[in-house]
Amino acid sequence: MTRTQMRSALGKAVGLGSARDGVENWLLERVSAVALIPLTLWFTVSTVMHAGDDYATVMAWLRRPVTTTLMALLLMALFHHTALGLQVIIEDYVHSRMKVLLLVGMRLGCLAMAVTGLVATLKIAFGA
Amino acid sequence: MIIQRSDEVPDITLLKRFPVPRNFGVSAGSRIGKGRTWPAPGGAARIRRFDVYRYDPDSDGNPRIDTFHVDLDDCGPMVLDALIWIKNRIDPSLTFRRSCREGVCGSCAMNIDGTNWLACTRFISDLATPATIYPLANMSIIKDLVADLTHLFAQHRLVEPWLRSRTSAPERERLQSPDERHRLDGLYECIMCFCCTSGCPSHWWNGDRFLGPAVLLQANRWLTDSRDEATGERLDDLEDPFRLYRCHTILNCTRTCPKGLNPGKAIADIKKMLIERRG
Ligand code: SF4
Ligand code: SF4
Ligand code: FES
Repeated sequence: MTRTQMRSALGKAVGLGSARDGVENWLLERVSAVALIPLTLWFTVSTVMHAGDDYATVMAWLRRPVTTTLMALLLMALFHHTALGLQVIIEDYVHSRMKVLLLVGMRLGCLAMAVTGLVATLKIAFGA
Repeated sequence: MIIQRSDEVPDITLLKRFPVPRNFGVSAGSRIGKGRTWPAPGGAARIRRFDVYRYDPDSDGNPRIDTFHVDLDDCGPMVLDALIWIKNRIDPSLTFRRSCREGVCGSCAMNIDGTNWLACTRFISDLATPATIYPLANMSIIKDLVADLTHLFAQHRLVEPWLRSRTSAPERERLQSPDERHRLDGLYECIMCFCCTSGCPSHWWNGDRFLGPAVLLQANRWLTDSRDEATGERLDDLEDPFRLYRCHTILNCTRTCPKGLNPGKAIADIKKMLIERRG
């Protein structure tokens, strides 16, 4: 009989103990969700309003400091929220060793997408 | 609509059950087969059919569904009465837990027509035809309708469900104002039947680490008690991505609690306490 099987029920329930962590992620997930409400609304409405415009007009709109700022905020809130949400899904449903790989890959993916978006936004704002 | 109590019915019900094939993802050893059909009692005027989950650990057989016919004129009004009637009149080997037969001991929790409830507080007249009686979901089954609750009680033990105080014991009772006492309402009534935990999807997937609604409601009961002095340690032990934060406020727990309690809200209150403590 292996050691795991001999462990008492309480020992099994205690496991590795409490991580004393989680409140930060929980709060950030809610804060980013609230921030995303006005940001996505603004983004959707603006995109629809610029739907028929030519390239130059859209570029001029994107170069405005207000637009750049809101775009940067949207990208950060969006990908942070996405990462936290995907983390919950992976932790819920993946129970194999793939879990760590998926978590790291997902984190890096979200970071890469956020950075790509930010670079593009800044390049448009300050670029030629 | 936010569900506050178990007697509230949802406005919209899309599907009666999650549309997966029967026995989907179930290991071959626990596939449920068709069992025996026991004949209806002769001369009975009002008969009700019950499909009951049977599992016999002493045989190598898989679980099976037996069909019984209960003579309603010879039997009390509750589901537990019907089970006792079956045990007395048809098959004495039918196994289930019961004690108080009035909804205070929490022994007779089972899955009745797809919902966890106490057999002693569910009217036979409210059942579907045929009525389906299963043990609590997501548990190892000891026999028939008796689930193995060892892990759940170990999780309960983990939150130290007793008064922890550093003030030396007073001569008389530890006092509490009526107001402080009222804050325990909706928490102290829990009878640890585990209807809620058995119905919680988060506990299905991560029950080894997630404490589940019944235990978290008890944890909140001691966090809320004005006489308890271990609030900080209790919160430390609960703040964990799995123990507490696996709860995603799905509220199956609140909808199924046969005592009309709201474990979902109790869990949200713990999360609020952790935010409050943080800053
Ligand atoms: S609210 Fe939380 S504890 Fe209740 S069923 Fe949902 S996940 Fe489980
Ligand atoms: S909260 Fe309700 S369903 Fe859950 S164990 Fe307590 S009494 Fe049973
Ligand atoms: S027998 Fe006690 S709760 Fe049903």
